[in-house]
Amino acid sequence: MRVITGIMLLVLAAIPAGISSAAEISADNIRFIEYPNFPDAHSTWGSIGYSSQHDKVFIGVTNHRDKVGLYEYDVAADNIRLLGFLPELAHLRPWQWQGKIHSRITEGPDGAMYFSTDGGESREEFLMNHPQGYNGGYFMRWDPAGNRFTNLGNGLRYESIKDITIDRLNGNLLGISYPQGHLLLYDQERNDVRDLGRVASDHIPRVLFSDKFGNMYYDDWRQRLVKYEHDTRQLLFNPDSVAMFANTPGYRIITGITGFAEDKQTGLIYLVTYSSKLIAFYPSRLGFGKMVDLGGVYDGDKAPYDYYCPNLSLGANGKLYYFIGGHGKYAIKDQTVLMEFDPQTRTKRIVLRFPLDTISEVTGHGVADSVGNLYFCGRRRAAGAVDVGESGASRPFMIIFNPTRAIDG
Amino acid sequence: MKLLLTLMALAALVPPPAVTAAPITMNNVRFVEYPDFPDAHSTWRSIGYSTRQNKVYIGVTNHRDKVGLFEYDVPTRAIRLLGFLPELAHLRPWQWQGKVHSQILEGADGKMYFATDGGESREEYLMNHPQGYYSGLLLRWDPRAEILEQLGTGLPNESIKDIALDNVGGLVYGVSYPSVHLLLFDPGSNYLRDLGRVGSDHVPRCIFSDRWGNAYYVDWRQRLIKYERDTGRLLFSEQSIQWFPGTTGEQIITGIPTYATDTELGIIYLITYSNMLVAFRPQRRGIGEIEILGPTVDSDKTPPPGYSPNSAFADNGKLYYFVGGHNRYVVKDTTLLMEFDPVTGKRRVALKFPLDVVSEVTGCDVKDAQGNLYICGRRRAADAQDMGESGASRPFLLIFNPDKDIRE
Amino acid sequence: MLNRLLLLSAALLLCAAQARAEYTFFTPEGAFAVEVSLENPGPRLRLPIYRNRITSLAAQGDWAIGGTTAQEGLSPFLFAVSLSAQELKVAHDLTADIPGQRAIRSGFGRVGEALYAGTIAQGEGAGGHLIKTTFNGKEFAVEDLGIPLEGEGIFALTADPERRMLYGISFPHGKFFSYEIASARVKVFDETAITKEQHGYYHRYALTDEDVLSRALVVDKQGRVWGSRPVNRIFYYDPATDKLVTIEEELPTVWGRRPLGRADSWAVAPDGTIYGGNAGDGQLFRIDPVSLRVSNLGKPIMSPRMPGLAFGADGRLYGIAGALPGYAHFFVYNTASGDYIDLGNPRVPLIVPEVDSEFPWRGFQIATVTATRDGKYILLGEDESLSQLIVLPVDGAPAQQWP
Repeated sequence: MRVITGIMLLVLAAIPAGISSAAEISADNIRFIEYPNFPDAHSTWGSIGYSSQHDKVFIGVTNHRDKVGLYEYDVAADNIRLLGFLPELAHLRPWQWQGKIHSRITEGPDGAMYFSTDGGESREEFLMNHPQGYNGGYFMRWDPAGNRFTNLGNGLRYESIKDITIDRLNGNLLGISYPQGHLLLYDQERNDVRDLGRVASDHIPRVLFSDKFGNMYYDDWRQRLVKYEHDTRQLLFNPDSVAMFANTPGYRIITGITGFAEDKQTGLIYLVTYSSKLIAFYPSRLGFGKMVDLGGVYDGDKAPYDYYCPNLSLGANGKLYYFIGGHGKYAIKDQTVLMEFDPQTRTKRIVLRFPLDTISEVTGHGVADSVGNLYFCGRRRAAGAVDVGESGASRPFMIIFNPTRAIDG
Repeated sequence: MKLLLTLMALAALVPPPAVTAAPITMNNVRFVEYPDFPDAHSTWRSIGYSTRQNKVYIGVTNHRDKVGLFEYDVPTRAIRLLGFLPELAHLRPWQWQGKVHSQILEGADGKMYFATDGGESREEYLMNHPQGYYSGLLLRWDPRAEILEQLGTGLPNESIKDIALDNVGGLVYGVSYPSVHLLLFDPGSNYLRDLGRVGSDHVPRCIFSDRWGNAYYVDWRQRLIKYERDTGRLLFSEQSIQWFPGTTGEQIITGIPTYATDTELGIIYLITYSNMLVAFRPQRRGIGEIEILGPTVDSDKTPPPGYSPNSAFADNGKLYYFVGGHNRYVVKDTTLLMEFDPVTGKRRVALKFPLDVVSEVTGCDVKDAQGNLYICGRRRAADAQDMGESGASRPFLLIFNPDKDIRE
Repeated sequence: MLNRLLLLSAALLLCAAQARAEYTFFTPEGAFAVEVSLENPGPRLRLPIYRNRITSLAAQGDWAIGGTTAQEGLSPFLFAVSLSAQELKVAHDLTADIPGQRAIRSGFGRVGEALYAGTIAQGEGAGGHLIKTTFNGKEFAVEDLGIPLEGEGIFALTADPERRMLYGISFPHGKFFSYEIASARVKVFDETAITKEQHGYYHRYALTDEDVLSRALVVDKQGRVWGSRPVNRIFYYDPATDKLVTIEEELPTVWGRRPLGRADSWAVAPDGTIYGGNAGDGQLFRIDPVSLRVSNLGKPIMSPRMPGLAFGADGRLYGIAGALPGYAHFFVYNTASGDYIDLGNPRVPLIVPEVDSEFPWRGFQIATVTATRDGKYILLGEDESLSQLIVLPVDGAPAQQWP
């Protein structure tokens, strides 16, 4: 079944915000796509990824309780479909409930899509071995070639797996557990989960990422990059923290990196932190590469570290795009803004603004297809969902954005 | 890898005292060893035949945390290890499985279904403790794709001792251990229905089904329980399956350990834990007729001694079963292969084995198209003493054909 | 310096909005965590990854003295944290004194100003050493007292300062031994060792030696040394008779889970009553020193394990309940009323001098609990790949159910 809405009509006029002059980005550059056959869908959490081999986008959508739908968007056919719900696909019992896919959905060297599951509700963290508690998150794989789902098994008991990344050379996965913050290395070939130890504490940074050398990255409580180095199979800690503004509060630092996007041609990885910094990271095969502080994500009247950006994407035009806002924190009152950042000139501007009942929060990291469309998980404020989950009343949808051309709905 | 054991020494075994017996000798029996699993300890009715692939599948365990799934290819006589369950099913160490205790059954989809069990005390008592037992799993081996599919767990901290298949509608029946809950799985919809607790101190190990997809089990009074597919109801027989005078309550609650089916006549032969042979004629609706056929062995003791957790119905119209195991032997330190003729009602000892050759045999009604019967065998082996809780043994596949010489 | 720390601020509540629902952490004023471990620390003094599980811990004036356990192939540390400066001041790699050791997991025994501990060596078959260490505020002096049991490590240790005796449990066999400091005389008692039959029994439950040996020993006011032995039994060593006595009553048991029983922790109350934590199912128990009656005091949370106990200045018993695959709850037990108060997963500000505001820090896995000599602070040693020291003031603990 195909359910695609028209282009949303509620985009506010693009206002330069006095930062720099705007290019011709309008509502024609953006499309919203609804998720069919899931009336109680509540949200999405960075749970999106693109299959270059199959030219499809995959999205995990949740009711933020116990039901997660896996969706496939066929780029060529412009068709979205529900592949199934995780409890059925993975043969889970009610006591093995999963609140969401919080990880991104990442393409492995075998062409399959990998992701992991999370609890997301208080009962995950506190009820544990109680009958209503949380049994543990799973590593999962969807193979678009055969439309086959594989449950790759759990991480740690009672712990969810907030995010994963993949070693692009050998297919090993690196995940982060919640709430205890253990880095988990999953060797698919050997079905071996190796606990690399606790690297966070009060808050679990939600983002891992990888480079073209097969290295995988996370950050510790000082917002220092932690690297699992492919060649040496060692865990390395960068001596220096990722750049932060003066007086950045500790609780922001420990929350670390919230988004990334890679320039696939150069291997350069752009990062955005919970304390609102944009960073250019030049990974190297061994050791840590250079990091360049690109400045803040937004120049406004709040403290420079106080803009929330859990998403990032790189356009084919070489510019970064990201939405600011979510979890009750907005750059402009009751508005989500789509920003454009030019790494060459380090200039930024607002390109679109949205009321919260159009877009209230956006997630997704560097999800781009071969023709320059960028894909994000979108949420909109929806009073009708007020009794669902713990994380705000919302409805989810997929955002397609192309900064350089109008896209048809 | 193919490893076939010729037991020359067995030729010297004394033939049984003759009835009007067909000449069953050691030439009618073959033993096949399991390769690539040096610490293999035992097998537990964990055997089944794929009619589509002409292959036999066996679950072999070290009775601790490692269960190997083996495939025996009937035409080539080759046996190979398909893999170990922890890897095949993506299990973590805290999701250890002690064994496959269930039958391995061919579904209407041609896939082989089975379930897992803990088998050690830590399953029953440690439960949610770090060393405890997570849960048994319903699993499905796809012989064509050579993939093991995990169909999910049963109840938390409970294993699944046995399963039966509804090959009409695709349901899977199971029984949990230690709480004896009858479970109804629908793998298609991932639905698991708990039909409730039907036993107590001992979990009868055998569920079986009929051609209409109905499933049967026994309650603590050794009464047949039927899940009637058409109505979706659980029926309890009013009468217990008869037992011998002097049978203890402990034996009664253990119920039926095995069955074998005469598909032509529609009779399911049962053997109770107290060694009663039974002919059960199932029917689509309601509980069918039960006929008592007497003891498994001719004995002047009441109740008769022995233990038969296995049976198979041969092409010659006779029922075969081994007697012995778990320290319950009719003849001291000897396992007997029995033949029962339903036409004449007579039984005879067909072969005898010392315990270091065959100490216990399990498996229900596993037969190929050529009339070979396949059974899980164990032999006493002192070198396996430190493994598991259930005796020191080594496992092997036992092939028996009452009508043919099947030597290597 | 302790009181320079503030309660977690409203800013933390903002953070909570991102990921948490409604619950409250117990974070009393004056609580803090010291960053003991940090891989690749630059100019800072920190312990490296995989070598810092705080498995031995003692308080000495302004100092928290720790001994760590390392991963196989790596060596452990002795370390000293200044409580007033809230900073790791000294890290002493034990390799410098005794190469080939992996763990100081015995706990410390104090005699005078010296702390005694035992080690576990790398690999099987190598003996662990008894060590004597003194700390002068600047550095550790370590004296190797040798290997008391050939081929055995030291799993647990305690000291009787009056008799100037050390008592230990060996690893992996679980033998009890005494060590006379003056003469260096060792006496070994085989009664506590795991028998072959018991090995078979534990094998069925997938329990290793490390899972079942007495994790701690304690000396009571009569000089008796208390510990547990297989299976689920409680023993004491009586210095008056130089004999081991296994008492009639066992550790409190959850039916069917007897093989899990072992002493996880001990504390002796000011009145001489002996309190213990049973690892098996996390029950607190009490031994009457006169009648030797064992009372099961129940358990504060639903998880197994009780890795640490210590009495505070308020006369109440503080402890940690729970461990992997769950995580730690800090609790307080009122020995007079029998009330437990579960104070939840400990969360305190981590001291990171480079950052102006506080780093919220949660202690998930805790290996050791001790109190400062004045009983005003409870110290928790983490049991992680990167472990920190958590300090909680007794003053802040609520008098009744919380929150």
